[in-house]
Amino acid sequence: MRCGFCGHEFAESEGNVGCKNCPMSSGCKMVKCPRCNYENPPEPALVKGLKKMFGKKE
Amino acid sequence: MSFFGKKGSCHEAPTVTNTGAKKVALVGNPNVGKSVLFNALTGAYVTVSNYPGTSVEVSRGNAVINGEEFEVIDTPGMYSILPITEEERVAREILLTERPHLVLHVLDARNLERMLPMTLQLIEAELPVVLVVNIMDEAARMGLEIDIPLLSQRLGIPVIGAATAKKVGLPEIRAAIAGSTSSAIPPFNFSRLMEGDIAEISDCLKGDYILSRKSLALLLLQGDTEVADLVQSTEGEGFGAVEAAVREKRFERRESFHLDLSMERKAIVKKVLDGAFKTPQQRVVTLAERISRLTVRPATGVPLLLIVLYFGLYQFVGVFGAGTLVDLLEGKGFEEFFNPWITEVVKSNVPWATIQELFVGEYGIITLGFRYAVGIILPIVATFFLFFSILEDSGYFPRLALLVDRLFKTMGLTGRAVIPMVLGFGCDTMATMVTRTLETVRERVIATVLLALAIPCSAQLGVIMSLLSQTPGALMVWGVCLFLIFLLVGLLAAKVLPGETPMFYMEIPPMRLPQFSNVLTKTYTRMQWYFMEILPLFILASVLLWLGKITHFFEKMIDAMTPVMASLGLPKESAVAFIFGFFRRDYGAAGLYDLQTKGLMNPRQLTVAAVTLTLFIPCVAQFLIMKKERGWNVALSIGLFVSTFAFGCGWLLNRFLLLTNLV
Repeated sequence: MRCGFCGHEFAESEGNVGCKNCPMSSGCKMVKCPRCNYENPPEPALVKGLKKMFGKKE
Repeated sequence: MSFFGKKGSCHEAPTVTNTGAKKVALVGNPNVGKSVLFNALTGAYVTVSNYPGTSVEVSRGNAVINGEEFEVIDTPGMYSILPITEEERVAREILLTERPHLVLHVLDARNLERMLPMTLQLIEAELPVVLVVNIMDEAARMGLEIDIPLLSQRLGIPVIGAATAKKVGLPEIRAAIAGSTSSAIPPFNFSRLMEGDIAEISDCLKGDYILSRKSLALLLLQGDTEVADLVQSTEGEGFGAVEAAVREKRFERRESFHLDLSMERKAIVKKVLDGAFKTPQQRVVTLAERISRLTVRPATGVPLLLIVLYFGLYQFVGVFGAGTLVDLLEGKGFEEFFNPWITEVVKSNVPWATIQELFVGEYGIITLGFRYAVGIILPIVATFFLFFSILEDSGYFPRLALLVDRLFKTMGLTGRAVIPMVLGFGCDTMATMVTRTLETVRERVIATVLLALAIPCSAQLGVIMSLLSQTPGALMVWGVCLFLIFLLVGLLAAKVLPGETPMFYMEIPPMRLPQFSNVLTKTYTRMQWYFMEILPLFILASVLLWLGKITHFFEKMIDAMTPVMASLGLPKESAVAFIFGFFRRDYGAAGLYDLQTKGLMNPRQLTVAAVTLTLFIPCVAQFLIMKKERGWNVALSIGLFVSTFAFGCGWLLNRFLLLTNLV
């Protein structure tokens, strides 16, 4: 995925998800850019599934 | 443990499905179009899995060219064959252990000079390399000229010019994959001194390696421990001589080896590109670059920002989202159809009045909580997140950071604080968390105060814009008030809190036309997240309000707040919006919407209530976050300050408006 702020490309697994201090962390799936920490929405499972079906890589 | 060590042996092939097909490895820097090329070559049959022993994902797919099957491997981005990151280690591991039939080095034509040193390294390693100079279309638009045949001749390997996103160059790439390949033979040399040093080490290497001896010698000289392990296990007893030679040369060149090597590679690149890569006398400035410049210069950037805010926030979110859509969904859908129907259903099925009240009463879960969430908040956040995603995808936010950097510095912040401020319009709670990424504690405290005070969340902003836009001047008064308070508090906080403002610099990504699919995906995800977060809280708030009502505690709270409301010139009923606001800011704004539709407020009262409610104490979730991030003392101080300040400003504004009759 590409960070919406600094443009850094990174894998979803590299970003930080659900900050432990946040009371809403369990429901929050925002992915923080490892370079600038901007919060990016992850790709919905439906879109991932469609991409996989049509052989498109993230 | 070294990377090689994770798998037990450097010669052990990773666990991948071996179809017997020849392998093609795509290598190159990140963001050069490798994945686009991979998709174009492989089509639908792709597997994405973690590389054994690592968390790095590697994609593999099959390509059938001229009836022959090839396994295409999209390696993680790498800048050099001397790895630093785990991704680079995996990419090199693939080259070392999977013996690709062909290595396609993909690079960006616009950054040819910067990326070509890696091509040199692949050639030095005598791998079967084909160079794909990608994004040629953009390079041509910038006026860059690249002589592909000359480049090929100078490098001694096949070179293909391509624009894979537009499918240009794909037939040539397919032909290169299907054709016969041979190991590259470097047609260039380093200085005599450097070559001498390399030879002293490579002459000691007797084993059989995938990389050339010259390449291995260079990696050993650069202190590559994984290659040292590989050489040790291959050379056995002979490793002592290699180690001694490496140690001697590393000691001789201890101060400047990396620099010398880098300078020599640069000199080779310059020679290779001489006459093969031409930049225009006067660089062609693209439209995106022109817009980019306009957005960061204060003289043009500020008017552009105001235009963006007017059309994006005011017209689209305020007038269309909070006006037209809310009228349709809440006014027609809920008030005229859904609420009367559900009230009838509940009343005819539930005999107890108190329970009826819980679901469909004045503060009922369905008639208030669900109606607020779906009828009022959802259309507003949908339009806001759509606008937000368009700006985000265009690359505007980093430019905004540069634009406001100077202003923010007067408040003890830097342009970096744009990240929490911008996210604050989405939700102040998560934005407060993001303040931890600011460099100093001082910055974090200032940003937390400003978020708690003067940054309304999207739903609150939408409702307020919709309500105030019906009265000429009211929105202007609200906007000016908020901006002045933001500046004043920021300046005061910077004076009160000691410390220096850190430097701010960032690499600006290119501006681009927002992609429709990206914008829709981001909007959908954010809306889903927001809705799932607010719905339970709105329901909880409705239950608490219902409890407050049946125990008469709620009425007592309203009575207790009546003098405060009166001092602001507001009717008693407006206390309801403030109590709602403590649960969530957007809940409070929706309460204000209800009061206005009931005709309980005149324009002056509406303006005063909107300003006070925007500044008012942060919602419960944000307060908890402040406590977690900054501790009880700071959180309570901020909460107390913000509440007093909000009512103080409301009182002053009411006096001012009564005197001036501005609204």
